[in-house]
Amino acid sequence: MKNIMIIFLLFSLVGHSKTIEVCSSCKTKSIQVAVSKAVDGDTVLIKKGLYKEFDIFVDKSIHIIGENNPIIDGEKKGYVFKIQADNFTLSGLTIKNVEQSYTKDYAAVLVMRSKNFRIENNILEQVFFGFMIEKSKYGIISNNEVSSNAQKEASSGNGVHMWHCKNMRVEGNKVHNLRDGLYFEFVSHSFISNNTSYKNLRYGLHFMFSNNNEYHHNEFKNNGAGVAVMFSKFIKMHHNTFHFNWGTASYGLLLKEIYDGEIHHNYFEQNTIGINIDGCTRMNYENNHFVRNGWAIKFTGGCYLNSFMFNNFMNNSFDLSYNSKLNDNKFEANYWSDYTGYDLDKDGIGDVPYRPVKLFSYIVNQTPETLVLLRSLFVDIINFSEKVSPVFTPDDLVDSKPIMKEIHDKY
Amino acid sequence: MKKISIIIILFGLLLLSCTVKPQPIDYVSDHCNFCDMTVVDKTHAAEYTTKKGKSYPFDAIECLVRKINRENNEDKMAYILVADYANPGELTNAKEAYYLITKKIKSPMGANLSAFKSEDKAKKTQEEFGGEIYNWNEIKSKFQ
Repeated sequence: MKNIMIIFLLFSLVGHSKTIEVCSSCKTKSIQVAVSKAVDGDTVLIKKGLYKEFDIFVDKSIHIIGENNPIIDGEKKGYVFKIQADNFTLSGLTIKNVEQSYTKDYAAVLVMRSKNFRIENNILEQVFFGFMIEKSKYGIISNNEVSSNAQKEASSGNGVHMWHCKNMRVEGNKVHNLRDGLYFEFVSHSFISNNTSYKNLRYGLHFMFSNNNEYHHNEFKNNGAGVAVMFSKFIKMHHNTFHFNWGTASYGLLLKEIYDGEIHHNYFEQNTIGINIDGCTRMNYENNHFVRNGWAIKFTGGCYLNSFMFNNFMNNSFDLSYNSKLNDNKFEANYWSDYTGYDLDKDGIGDVPYRPVKLFSYIVNQTPETLVLLRSLFVDIINFSEKVSPVFTPDDLVDSKPIMKEIHDKY
Repeated sequence: MKKISIIIILFGLLLLSCTVKPQPIDYVSDHCNFCDMTVVDKTHAAEYTTKKGKSYPFDAIECLVRKINRENNEDKMAYILVADYANPGELTNAKEAYYLITKKIKSPMGANLSAFKSEDKAKKTQEEFGGEIYNWNEIKSKFQ
């Protein structure tokens, strides 16, 4: 019995961790002092107030928690938090005014070589970079709001910037008025979901050299150019909304050198170009909705073995634009609002194949200025003549089983 | 007399507007001529101008070098310019620039390549961040 008592006593000693409070009337008035006092497992509780601190260095497994939204003002002097620790939490803080620089990537929160961490419910304002995560793994970044005042200039940073990371989760964040909302370079096996990214100068989401990732249920709107996924393999993109990305060379989704990806149940509405596909191979596009875009899909480089099935093409100026005479991609069983054929045998499939490439889209590719003729009679005539006897468009670029009714699959 | 002077001025303007000059890069709205990304990085942008006077911007120096290597069109260019890392927003002659590849300075397309107008600045940055310095011909063969 006595032994058991001793064991219990020992356990209670091991499990004990303390809370250090920080406020203007507390014993500890500075966050940096509180952090240096703390040991692994402690909590630093920051009470409501304004703290003017920067370059707060954290190298311990502690919880830094804000109570009633304390504000940390970096006064545009370098980083605010620099963290190199495993098993830490950072939550409930408002961080603002991060220094801008051309040569250094100053961030509100810099995380280096860390794992098993959680960053949540923070508000970042007037930042250069928001969260800069380097060489880390197993982290969760959720429900934060990151914003800045990026104007029409290049001195702006990214909201969540990851570099050489693995197994990360980015969920439910709101990022706006930055350069790139979310940026992932050399990141793998990560999930990006339920984020909203808008009014960013360049991209809402940007992947570079990042394989085996999945992003879903995100919303991207009013960005300079939607989302760019480049030089990556095995990316799954589904249930995302891409809308209102207008501009001369703007697009909902830019794919460049992508292999073996899955794109399904996405919604592309009112973009200059829905998807711009350049050098992509073995991709499956299924159950996507393309509504009122300038171009729903534009191929600009060699693309092979792509398959488009069960997509809705609704009221786009051009459903498809193609730049070569060869076709190695499959279009089957899509709904095309421009389809004018009949279904006499009533099996739900149009009796004659649909040719999604209009002759005029070739002319526009060659001379973009001809676009002003888009709704003219002349253009209608050349499109019609091409439809009757195709000469310029690839012979086999047809949907041989166009579906008669819009596909009502919830995106 | 007055008429003649006006005509001369007009002719002068005409001649002026015909000279081949590099266009300033419109950051954020210009797109890279090689990878199609938006040009935003004032420390790594690049541009070439053909002898006919058309300018093509690039978001990164590595894109410019790859484009020139691929199309082998260096002799068709009136200007080949790269951003001077030491003076953000300034472009400098690519053929006389000093190129630094160091892991500590990231560039937009992942090649970690920056350019410098002055050899001094390049060497100083190399001392601080490490890496290797190359000249124009060496950098072209590196991205061959």
